[in-house]
Amino acid sequence: MSIDLEDEILQDFLVEAGEILETLNEQLVDLEQSPEDSDLLNSIFRGFHTIKGGGSFLSLTNLVDVCHKSEDVFNLLRNHEISLTSDMMDAFLRVLDEVNSMFEQIRSGEDPDAADPALIQELIQMQDPSAAAPAEAAPAEDEAETAAAEPEDEQTSEAEVAEAVDAAAAATASEEFVSGSDEITDDEFESLLDALHGSGGSPKAVDTGQKMPSSGSDEISDDEFEALLDELHGKGGKPQPADKGAQKPATAKSGASASASSDEITDDEFEALLDQMHGKGKAPTVSAGKGKAANPGSAEKTSSPAPPDAAKAASASAAKKSGAKPAAKPAAKKPAARKESAAPKGETTVRVDTARLDDIMNLVGELVLTRNRLNTLRQTFEDERVHKAISSLDVVTADLQSAVMKTRMQPVKKVFGRFPRVVRDLARSLNKEIQLDLQGEETDLDKNLVEALADPLVHLVRNSVDHGIELPDIREKAGKPRQGKVILSAQQEGDHIILSIIDDGAGMDPEVLRANVVNKGLMDEETAARLDDKGCFDLIFMPGLSTKEQISDVSGRGVGMDVVKTKITQLNGQIEINSEIGKGTELRIKVPLTLAILPTLMIQLGPRKFALPLSIVDEIFELSSKKMSIVDGREVVMNRGKAPPVFHLRKWLLKPNEQDDDENADPHVIMARVGNSSVGFVVDQVIGQEEVVIKPLDKLLQGIPGMAGSTITGDGNIAIILDIPGLLKSFS
Amino acid sequence: MADSQEDSGQFQCVTFTLENEIYGINVMQVQEVLREVEVAPVPGAPHYVLGIINLRGNVVSVIDARTRFGLPPKESDDMTRIIVIEVQQQIIGILVDSVAEVVDINREEVDSAPNVGNSESAKYIDGVVSRGDMLLILVDLNKLLSEAEWVEMSGF
Repeated sequence: MSIDLEDEILQDFLVEAGEILETLNEQLVDLEQSPEDSDLLNSIFRGFHTIKGGGSFLSLTNLVDVCHKSEDVFNLLRNHEISLTSDMMDAFLRVLDEVNSMFEQIRSGEDPDAADPALIQELIQMQDPSAAAPAEAAPAEDEAETAAAEPEDEQTSEAEVAEAVDAAAAATASEEFVSGSDEITDDEFESLLDALHGSGGSPKAVDTGQKMPSSGSDEISDDEFEALLDELHGKGGKPQPADKGAQKPATAKSGASASASSDEITDDEFEALLDQMHGKGKAPTVSAGKGKAANPGSAEKTSSPAPPDAAKAASASAAKKSGAKPAAKPAAKKPAARKESAAPKGETTVRVDTARLDDIMNLVGELVLTRNRLNTLRQTFEDERVHKAISSLDVVTADLQSAVMKTRMQPVKKVFGRFPRVVRDLARSLNKEIQLDLQGEETDLDKNLVEALADPLVHLVRNSVDHGIELPDIREKAGKPRQGKVILSAQQEGDHIILSIIDDGAGMDPEVLRANVVNKGLMDEETAARLDDKGCFDLIFMPGLSTKEQISDVSGRGVGMDVVKTKITQLNGQIEINSEIGKGTELRIKVPLTLAILPTLMIQLGPRKFALPLSIVDEIFELSSKKMSIVDGREVVMNRGKAPPVFHLRKWLLKPNEQDDDENADPHVIMARVGNSSVGFVVDQVIGQEEVVIKPLDKLLQGIPGMAGSTITGDGNIAIILDIPGLLKSFS
Repeated sequence: MADSQEDSGQFQCVTFTLENEIYGINVMQVQEVLREVEVAPVPGAPHYVLGIINLRGNVVSVIDARTRFGLPPKESDDMTRIIVIEVQQQIIGILVDSVAEVVDINREEVDSAPNVGNSESAKYIDGVVSRGDMLLILVDLNKLLSEAEWVEMSGF
């Protein structure tokens, strides 16, 4: 089957399943620490189940297969019928990898390949057949061929039975729909009910369950049925009033869609049915479907926990929906599905396309620019009222800016989430014992930053594990606990985020680094000798340097840190290393909260304005106040006992015919930090600090070294935003 | 050129002048025509890119049609205009000597005779239309930024 990437349902599934997979990753690693945690087991079980449910609706058979097997194993685990071994852990993690790679395939429009048969076999073997037939599970398995009456789990009073039943329900439901068989005989249904009764559950709104299969071939009900299933499992048997309220409309709607497609039920009947389900109508027989087994008593009983108001409102809206769209099934499909997904969260959240957020951000950017222009203009007005109006616009804009910024914020957990797994796998393969400590996971930062930081962080954490933490024996000899510790933390500091990676490993030896850099011919001995310890640590960011003698497949090729540094610099961030031999290493990354708005220093060169990212500016002083001299053919300026090189920006950035000296110039030197060194730039005039919105240059101009983008200044003109490291590279 | 009008066999062109020659661009690709505004040069840009302008809050690159067509530079004057066009989902401004009018052209009128102008501009010519003593040169905007450059541009 080919995969239609345009399909909205598929897209929704990918987004949702993606989130679930991320959580699963974390949960599986947690599980290794606490294998008996039944909440955790339950939630992993539900995770696999939800993916399977969605997958089966989309006929992703191979995906369903592997999820199904894993789900089975977790079902046994959570019922404490088998216990977790480390082999199983490895298998589960491999399952997760398989599933992840299947998702990659789906995203690129391919049908996923079948999972490794050996892995599937392993999963099957985990379910020891003799242990797998406990009393509660039996009815579920017996009914494995029949269509599922899925809403069971919420009403069943005994949790274990509920679990057994919903596992069976889910499994059978999806099989049913995949196979396309939509028939359920009365006998089968009866026996299913009997089984449920027998196992102590109280079956409830069975009429709905039965009606579903009766229209089983219909797309809408399949869709909703799956969505409903997911919903129910998501809430797994916690009868909170809100859940009930939410589930009711969902149930009602699946009924509605069934009626829409089969036309076998009138609106009146449907209303009555709804009433019955909500325990309002006392008449036991209203259900228009062939619901032989409808059990009014239990329906009433089960609905009682639902707050009457909520139930009523829900039923009313569901009824309205069914009345409005009795025949238009494609039309009914989307709104219904959407409403279901929103309902359980009490409709407090909305999923918004990130492109839309970006648009809003751009518009706010425009507003900021217009405000800047007004601010510039306001000096020409003497009017008090204009001042007031502009001041309040100023405040509102600033608030709006931060509010919009917040919508784009994501907890750093999104990046951190993958680390437990990374560290665990690495530690295992390197035979190290490592404990990873995550701190400040709830710190928010800009969505783009979250994405951009992921790779550098993975690299740095791998480095800490591989290079930093020593082998357990060595640690013991050094008088440290066998288990090494890596702390990954995030915290906000003003308008910056500080991310740090701290390990209690061997630390770095500045002398070794110094020797290394000289041996490799990357720096001459004299220069190297002049470096202080910090300067030495920064050497690891040089391309081509690796302190590790042996290159492992983990790290040590000496390319990574260079890339990390470049990446962080691109984000207008800084990275700093502190290390002490024998104690450990600390890497601190400082990045701005957002990438969209950049604090800059505006400067003037001849007739043009340019903007420098403020983050790299250390110091500004008048050119005349310091002594310039020439060392080694380079101009340097004496400042604070050092002689950093100085460059004239006008020579780099202005056309030859514009380079005549400007009489109005008030030349200043801007000291900027570029990498580890300090560099001075002579500019004609320093205009001041301005927050600008970065407008990327269009494709015609992209890739020009030293140009980071452009912006529109307060007076409506354009200023180019300079990329100082890039400029230095291409001109000096 | 524009798909929608190809069938009817008739399309409209915005005409502009460069060094006494008249050129035409399909009107469907033209977004607007601006009087010359201040262009901010971008250091290090290709020589035919004049710089960028602020088009109501959007930054648009402007290329110099004269440089592109191998014509000698000319001081800008009252007639100088920037034609803002959209080519392959990109908005770009073209600086021209002047913009004249919008003309209707029948497809049959277009000759594919490329032997007009100098060799530099011939590359960007789609065809010519002669009307009386007027010769209108149709510019292929897709070629105006030569293929190699488009590739280079979309690489980023």
